[in-house]
Amino acid sequence: MKTTDSPKTFHSSSGFELRSFYTAADIPSSHRERAQGEPGQAPYHRGWHATGYRTKPWRIFQLSGFGKPEDENARIKFLLKNGETGFIMEHDRNTADHCYNVDHPEVVARREDVGLTGAVMQSVRDIAICLDGLPVDTSFGHAGGAVVQHAPFALAGYWTVARKRGYKLREIAGTGQSDFNLTYLGCVTKQQIPTDAGLRFNADIIEFCGEHLPRWVPVSIAGYNAADTGLNPAQELGTLFANAVEYLDEMKRRGTVPIELAAKGCGGVSFRASIHIFEEAAKMRAARMMWSDLLRTRYGITDPKTANLRIHCVTAGSKMTYQQPLNNVVRGTLMALGAVMGGVQSLGVSGYDEALSIPSEHAHQMSVRIQQILQEETNVCAVTDPLGGSYYIETLTAQLAEKAWEFFDEILAQGGYLACLDSGWLHARAAENQHREFMALESGEQHVVGVTCALDDESPFEVDGFVGTDDAFDVATERLNEIRRTRHEAGACAALKKLESVCRSDANIMPAMMDALEAEVTLGEIGDVYRNVFGDWNTPIQT
Amino acid sequence: MSETQKRILMAKTGLDGHWRGPTIVARALRDAGYEVIMIGMASTDDIVRAAVDEDVDLVGLNIGGHIDVALRAVRAVQEARPGLAIFAGGTVPPHAKRQLEALGVEVYPPGSRLSDIVDAAARLTGG
Amino acid sequence: MSEIGELVAAALDGKREALARLLSIAERGGAAVLEIEERIRPRVGGAWVVGVTGPPGAGKSTLINALLPHAQAAMGKAAVLAVDPSSPFSSGAILGDRVRMQGRTFGPSVFIRSMASRGEMGGLARAASTCVRLFDACGWPVVIVETLGIGQVELDIMDLADSVVVVLNPGWGDTIQANKAGLTEAGDVFVINKADKPGAQQTRKDLLESLALLAKEPKPEIVETVATASEGVGALWQAIEAQRSLLMDSTEMSDRRALRHRRFVKKTIAHQIEHSIARLLASERGERLIADASLGEIDLSRTIAQVLAILSHDLK
Repeated sequence: MKTTDSPKTFHSSSGFELRSFYTAADIPSSHRERAQGEPGQAPYHRGWHATGYRTKPWRIFQLSGFGKPEDENARIKFLLKNGETGFIMEHDRNTADHCYNVDHPEVVARREDVGLTGAVMQSVRDIAICLDGLPVDTSFGHAGGAVVQHAPFALAGYWTVARKRGYKLREIAGTGQSDFNLTYLGCVTKQQIPTDAGLRFNADIIEFCGEHLPRWVPVSIAGYNAADTGLNPAQELGTLFANAVEYLDEMKRRGTVPIELAAKGCGGVSFRASIHIFEEAAKMRAARMMWSDLLRTRYGITDPKTANLRIHCVTAGSKMTYQQPLNNVVRGTLMALGAVMGGVQSLGVSGYDEALSIPSEHAHQMSVRIQQILQEETNVCAVTDPLGGSYYIETLTAQLAEKAWEFFDEILAQGGYLACLDSGWLHARAAENQHREFMALESGEQHVVGVTCALDDESPFEVDGFVGTDDAFDVATERLNEIRRTRHEAGACAALKKLESVCRSDANIMPAMMDALEAEVTLGEIGDVYRNVFGDWNTPIQT
Repeated sequence: MSETQKRILMAKTGLDGHWRGPTIVARALRDAGYEVIMIGMASTDDIVRAAVDEDVDLVGLNIGGHIDVALRAVRAVQEARPGLAIFAGGTVPPHAKRQLEALGVEVYPPGSRLSDIVDAAARLTGG
Repeated sequence: MSEIGELVAAALDGKREALARLLSIAERGGAAVLEIEERIRPRVGGAWVVGVTGPPGAGKSTLINALLPHAQAAMGKAAVLAVDPSSPFSSGAILGDRVRMQGRTFGPSVFIRSMASRGEMGGLARAASTCVRLFDACGWPVVIVETLGIGQVELDIMDLADSVVVVLNPGWGDTIQANKAGLTEAGDVFVINKADKPGAQQTRKDLLESLALLAKEPKPEIVETVATASEGVGALWQAIEAQRSLLMDSTEMSDRRALRHRRFVKKTIAHQIEHSIARLLASERGERLIADASLGEIDLSRTIAQVLAILSHDLK
C-alpha cells in the first residue's frame, strides 16, 4: 500500500473532516453536558440501561430462508441450534414482493429463481410448515413481510398459525418489518401499491397491534436499505426519523391509539452497520438521542419506556467482496464490533459469501460464531457504552445528530418522507453518493483489500455460491393446486370479497386479512385485490 | 457522424429490485457514448424481443439469481441473434461464472472496475 | 440486389429483424436512406400516425403503455417510436421509455423502438420520418411517435402525425409552455394527465381559453387521464379515433399529408446534401481544403466553389 498516495485530509462517511486527534474542546457546546451523562438518562445516547449487555446481551438474529417452507424451517432450526436467539423467516421474493402466486406469468418466466432468497409461502398452510416446531413463545420471531404490500399477509399468516397452536395473540413477542426504504428506495419492485396506500397499511398494522398484540413490534422502520443504496450515516438517520414521523403523524391524525403506544411500537428500528466503525457506533448513539429528542419536542412524550429506542442491526452486505471471500469474516467481525460498541439490541452479520449468493450453512454458522466470540471472549458485554466520554465519539455523535436533523428538515420541507420518495429526491441523493464512491474506487483514492489492491490470494479454500434446492417451484405449484381443490371455496370467496371492500374503505384491513388467511385465501388473490383497488406506484427512477 | 453509434441493451433477469449496480454501469456506458436501452426486470421473452426490435450491438445482463434463468435468457438471445455479444454482471458465483463463460458470455462480478466494463463494451461492439 | 434491397424485401415480407436493421440504418442517415425511401415508397400511406408530445415528466410513456391495449384491440397491432435525449457531452443516451411500456406482455403485435436524439436536431425529425415510413410500409397500421419535450424539434416530429396528442399536467406552467411552443395550434387532442392532482380544472379552463383564440373548428377535445391507473385512457383512444374519422371524412387529411410530403421532400434534399458535405469535409481531401482555407492560401468563396464542384461530380 503506497503511503505517498494518502489523501491529505480524512473524512467520515457523512462528510465530516476528521481531525488527527480530538480533545474536550472539540465537543460541541450543546452536547458537552449530555456527554457527561449516564446510561438510562435522557436522551439515552449512552444507552437505555446501566447494566446493558450484562443482563441482556444483544440477540443473534440472522436473516434466513430459501426453497420450500420445510427447507427454511430446517435452516432456522440449524441456526437456533447453533446459537442464534431469534429467527427471521424470509419469504421468496418473486412471489412475496409482488404478491403473486407461482402461476403468475412473471413468476413462471423465472421459475428457476423461485425459492432463491426465501421460502415460497402462498397461504397459511405454507406458513404453518415454515413455523413447525419453532419456539414462537420463547424466541423473538421475525415474520418476514419486508415489502410493504406483503406485510399484512405475512403478519396475519404468522399470527393465525400461532393462534392455531394455542398461543394468545396478546402474548406473542416478535416483529414485523414492512420496510419503506426497502420497498420504495433500495429495492424498487416491478409493481407496488402507491406510497399512500403503503402508509395506510402500516398505520393499520400499528393500530391492530396496539389493540391486540402489545408485545409485537408492528413495523420496523429501517435504515439498512437507505444506507446500502447510498445514503451516508447522517442521511440514514435523517431519513429514518422522517419515516417515523409519517407513521406517528398518521397515528395522531387517526386518534385510535394513544400516541405513546404508537411511539412504543415504532421504537423498534433497524440500522445498517458499516465498516467505518467509530462513525457507526456514534450513529447508534446519535439515533437514541434523536429519538428521545423527537418524541419530546414533536409529540410531548418523555416516558423512558417509550423513548427507549431498540435497535436491530445488520452489517453492510455491500461491503462484502466477491474476491477473497474469507476476508469478509474479518469485515463482518469489525462491523459487528462497531454495532455492539454502539449498544444495539440485536444483530445479524452478513455471510462471508454475501457477494456470491445467500449464505451457505457454514457462512451462516460463521456469522453466529463471530457474535458468540464477541459475547464470550472479548469482555465487550461487561461495560455499557464503552466509547462514552471519548472526545472523538462524543463529537461525532453530536455532529451526526446535527447533520441528520438538517437532512430531516430538508425532507420535511419538501412535504415529508413519502413526497421525497415519490419525487425521486431520495433516490437522487443516494445515486450521487454512490457515484462518488465508485469514482473514488476507480481512481485509486479509496481501496478495498483484495479488490483494488493486495490481489494475491493464497487461500486453499474454494468458496462457491450456495445452491439451495431446485424443487421449490414445482412443490409450490402442487400446493397451490391442492389448496384450491381442498379449501372451503365459499368461505375463501367471501373472505376475499370482504377484504376487497375493506381495502376500498377507510377501515383497518387487518381483521379482514386475518379472516382471509384463516379461510385459506392465497397470496396472489390478495395481490390481485391490491392491484385492482390501489393501482401501481409511479416509480420515479429508471429501474 | 452517427455511423458508429452503438446501442446496448441492459436487463435484469431476476425479479429483484436492486437498481444501484445497473444504474452505475448504464451511466458509465452513456458517458462513454453508448445508447443504453434499459428494460429493467425483464423476462426471457422481453429480452429477446428487445434485442431484436432495438437492433442492439450488445446485451448486458444483470444476474442475481439461479443461474438457470440467466442461461435460458442467454441461449434464447443467441438463437434469435446469432453472433450478438453478451456480457453479464451481478451476484454470479464461481460455478455460474464458469457456465456463462462456457456459453461465450463475459462475466463481471462485484468489484469489477467500471473502466474494464466500458472497455469491454468497446471491444464487444467492434469499436 | 443490393444489401439494402434485400433487407427491404425481407422487411416487407414480414421479417422483423430486417425491419429492425433498417430502422438502425435510417437513423444513421446518408445515401442508404435514399435507397430505402425509393424502395418503400409504393407501400407507404396506410398507417395512422399518432404523435404524443408534452413537457418532460408529463407521463407520456405511461400513457402510451395504457393506450397500447386499445390500439391493439382496434387495429390489431401497433408500433411505437420513443425518443429520448442524447447527452450533449458524450453523445450517449439512456433510453428509458421502453421499460415503462413493458407492464403488460404485448407479444409480437407490438413493436417498440427507442431512438436517441443524437444531437443532430434537424436530423432527428428526418430519421423519425423514415422510421415511421418503414413501419408504415411493413404494414403496421398505427404508429405512435413519442417525443421528449416541447420545442422546434418536437414540432417537426409532430409534423409526421395525423393525430397530435399533447399531454399536459395540472398546474399553470404546462399550458404556458405549450402555448409558447406552438403546440396549442398543432394539437388535435389534449390530455390532462395526473388529473387526480390539484389544479386539473384550472388547467382545463386555461386550455379552453387558449383554444378559443384559434380559428380551428371544431375545437380539439380535452381528456383527463390518470395514466398510472389507466383511468380516462379509453376515452382518450375514442377521442383520437373521432379526430381521425373527422380528418378522413374531409379533405384535410389529404391536404395535411400533401403538405407533409412537400416538407419531407425539402428536408430530404437538404439532409442528403448536408450529409455529403459533412462526409467530404471529414475526409482527407476535405481536411486539406479546410487547412488551406484556414491558412489563407485560398479564399473562402473559392473553397466553397471547389466543394460544390467536387460534390456535383461525386453525386453523378
